[in-house]
Amino acid sequence: MNLRILLVVIIGSTLIFQGCTSKGTELSSSLSQQEVPTVNDPFEKVNRVVFSFNIIFDKIILRPIAVTYKAVIPGFVRNRITYSLNNLSMPITAVNNLLQGELRKAGVSTSRFIINSTVGLMGFFDPASSIGLMTETEDFGQTLSVWGVSSGPYVVLPFLGPSNPRDFAGLLSTSLLDPMYQIGGGSASDSLRTYRLGTGAVDFRSQNVEILDDLQNNSIDYYAAVRSFYSQGRESQASSNLEIDSSEQENDIFDDFEMDESYVGPDIEITYD
Amino acid sequence: MTKIRFHIYILLLFCSVNFSAHSSNFLEEENFVTSFAESAISILSNDSFSEAERTSSFTELVMSSIDLNLISKFVLSKAWKNASDEQKEKYLIAFKDYFVSSYANKLDQYTGEKVDVIGSQEAGKYVIVESNIIREGTDTLKINLKWRLLNKDNQIKIIDLNIEGISLVIAQREEFQSFLANNDYDLDKLIEKIVSVSD
Repeated sequence: MNLRILLVVIIGSTLIFQGCTSKGTELSSSLSQQEVPTVNDPFEKVNRVVFSFNIIFDKIILRPIAVTYKAVIPGFVRNRITYSLNNLSMPITAVNNLLQGELRKAGVSTSRFIINSTVGLMGFFDPASSIGLMTETEDFGQTLSVWGVSSGPYVVLPFLGPSNPRDFAGLLSTSLLDPMYQIGGGSASDSLRTYRLGTGAVDFRSQNVEILDDLQNNSIDYYAAVRSFYSQGRESQASSNLEIDSSEQENDIFDDFEMDESYVGPDIEITYD
Repeated sequence: MTKIRFHIYILLLFCSVNFSAHSSNFLEEENFVTSFAESAISILSNDSFSEAERTSSFTELVMSSIDLNLISKFVLSKAWKNASDEQKEKYLIAFKDYFVSSYANKLDQYTGEKVDVIGSQEAGKYVIVESNIIREGTDTLKINLKWRLLNKDNQIKIIDLNIEGISLVIAQREEFQSFLANNDYDLDKLIEKIVSVSD
């Protein structure tokens, strides 16, 4: 039954977002004469409200937990946690490797999971990497992107943060289909879910305490900074799967700029000593 | 990889450099990154510096290695064209202070991360040098760094730093454009905001 809901969600969202994105593409191509690539964010007003809510949630709950975690738990142990979370995401990564037609990578992800779960003591160590079995984690959002689904508009989700329809559909599918949750079932899968969600959030947040504090304090527009980080990051993951040169689009932006002499002309230069 | 994406926003150069075998298409540019990182590390790990001395030596190194004029104009984008000379000068000064304030007083956070230069490639007018930072205490948790360099009149300058697929200069540019779009494209307001954030 879950599967049926999932399929409806994926197909439904895919169709809706294809609509959004084709509009987005027209928009950006008509604007390509200007030098700034437009950001696909038609719901900016609502997004900013949710974003402010998330900041408060972070300030009151998530950040204090992360700071305490970092202060109390030694770095060695925190690294083990990072490895174990990575290991737990290997089965779903293998599924996504298959869905993307990457047989070799699926083999690597599966071998990693088997080796690190056993020799690597339940994934707390990473002997697989030492013998050359390295891979990036993959989620359904990335698989949808390989299948040609565009990201759609930028959306900020309550609690979960930056996303877009494609990645959100991917997130739903992952939580329903992850093979990790088929093992054991019942309470075992519930505690596993809780471990991954809770610890995953704290692990991520604790790695970014100083960075996000700095970013927030130094930002001209924090919302826009986070949006840019998220969108650029996801695009670069998507293009690496499609074997596009991920820096191609970036190069275009820099090239356009350099060619316009009115920008780079020496009308005003300051010397910095 | 999202997990470590933000890990070094500020750690622009908190890095020492490892030498290892790799294909060197642009040796001169790779050496530039290597020696830049080495100079940075010697400043960051010099215990005899006071906080102020460390920040000023670091700033001296950074200013001689990046093309801040070009970066400043790039992040302002279209608004640069329409600015008056007075606005341009005010902005360039404000942006420099803003840039320095983003790392000042944080340079003691360096924790001994290592950087591996792993190769280089041409990208239009630019050369991109690719490197990895290895997370302290592990040997497999890596952060990918790409340095965009411009060789102009036989002088190599850093134009951008890309961390795990995120270009800091493009992010800065989107931030400024967003601020302008939400403030009637008023450049004076942006300059005011930049000044207030760097104070």
